[in-house]
Amino acid sequence: MSSAPVIVRRARPLLGTLVDISAQGDRAERAVQSAFAAVMRVQRLMSFHTRGSDVDRLNKLARRTPVAVHPWTWRVLREAQRLSAVSRGTFDITVAGCLVRWGYLPKRRSAAVDRRADWHDVVLLPGQRVRFRKRLLIDLGGIAKGFAVDRAIDRLRAHGVLGAMVNAGGDLRAFGGAPQRIHVRDPRHPARLIACADLQTGAVATSASYFAASTWRSKLVSPLVDRRRRASTNRSSVTVAAPTCMLADALTKVGLLRGPGPVRRLGGQPMIL
Amino acid sequence: MSLSIRWLAPAAVCVAASPACFAIQYLGVEQAQALIFPDAREFVRADARLTPDQIKAIEAKSGMRVRAAEQRVWQARTEGKLLGWFIVDEVLGKHEFITYAAGLSADGSVRQIEVMDYRENYGYEIRNPVWRRQFAGKRLGDKLKLDEDIKNISGATLSCRHITDGIKRLLALYEVALR
Repeated sequence: MSSAPVIVRRARPLLGTLVDISAQGDRAERAVQSAFAAVMRVQRLMSFHTRGSDVDRLNKLARRTPVAVHPWTWRVLREAQRLSAVSRGTFDITVAGCLVRWGYLPKRRSAAVDRRADWHDVVLLPGQRVRFRKRLLIDLGGIAKGFAVDRAIDRLRAHGVLGAMVNAGGDLRAFGGAPQRIHVRDPRHPARLIACADLQTGAVATSASYFAASTWRSKLVSPLVDRRRRASTNRSSVTVAAPTCMLADALTKVGLLRGPGPVRRLGGQPMIL
Repeated sequence: MSLSIRWLAPAAVCVAASPACFAIQYLGVEQAQALIFPDAREFVRADARLTPDQIKAIEAKSGMRVRAAEQRVWQARTEGKLLGWFIVDEVLGKHEFITYAAGLSADGSVRQIEVMDYRENYGYEIRNPVWRRQFAGKRLGDKLKLDEDIKNISGATLSCRHITDGIKRLLALYEVALR
């Protein structure tokens, strides 16, 4: 006699949103707890607000001296810089300077940011060390949430679950199991949900401006700023599918600012509402 | 790493637009207790019934409003020793209604937070007491129509600010009424 496989679904408040993890398999409960631990680790390392996070230390010290970061932070910074290069600056983690000036991120003592600074001024050095060439602030909100989802998925796979889904406030990734119907909010009526795809394996992320005012106040979220025009975007909602959630997350910002063409060139499948 | 996705046709996208009223049940009380305090042998009911003065003190300490004078609390114990406090709390946003469990260690630090129930509603006013009463007892009312198919939403979810605020209030409650 065989029993049905266990399905576990849990949610915790993390990364400034609700992180929802479901998994199927005999040891699903332990796998899900371990996945949450990975998300918490990303939060500790990459939060703009948390004192002593890698991002906080970089923003305080990297203008003066090279700062060593955790291998996970290093991976996110490397991917951010790669995306900045291939998107010719559309994706740029140094927009934090603009956001502080506009009052969307809290002011800090070192808030005197050089207006000419951009991603070129973030220098990745040997030994996983980072230095800033100008006075600037970085914020990994536009990419770290997706990275956290990817690390959670790694843990779930390592625990041998049959299938799983991780959803961090709209950045989600799945593997195994049956195809899952994915909904997005109608940007004209956020009250309405629209079924947009069936996802079996891979990641889907959506960026939109409808809840932006409130999400700005929470942690690890990415306000949608056009670095080159230094203005907010007016496209309403971009959904991107990609093999990893980090890529899907980052490419939603490219889609909002530059439309679907560049998203496709960078390896994502866009859907714009 | 691979991608296997089937986009729905634009026509289907329109047709499938759903009313946004849905609920997810994550955990019952006993499940949440076992998850947050796996080392506990027993949970002793120790509800907090707050006096007006205590409510005032909690509001002053936390800066948050106290809506209910009664709070569901358990002591997590093992062999007579207090491991911590297990508290069930509810928070209300503009569109969401969340029941969650907070585990506090014996010294009052947050041990773990688990969401028990999540409900999102846009059809009518969530602050309406009649609407909320339908959820009393932590069970889905049969009369309530909820879309069970909406499980995965991509795109800006409501923030967890209300839970963060709720935890501030519970930490003040610990100081005022439990410690």
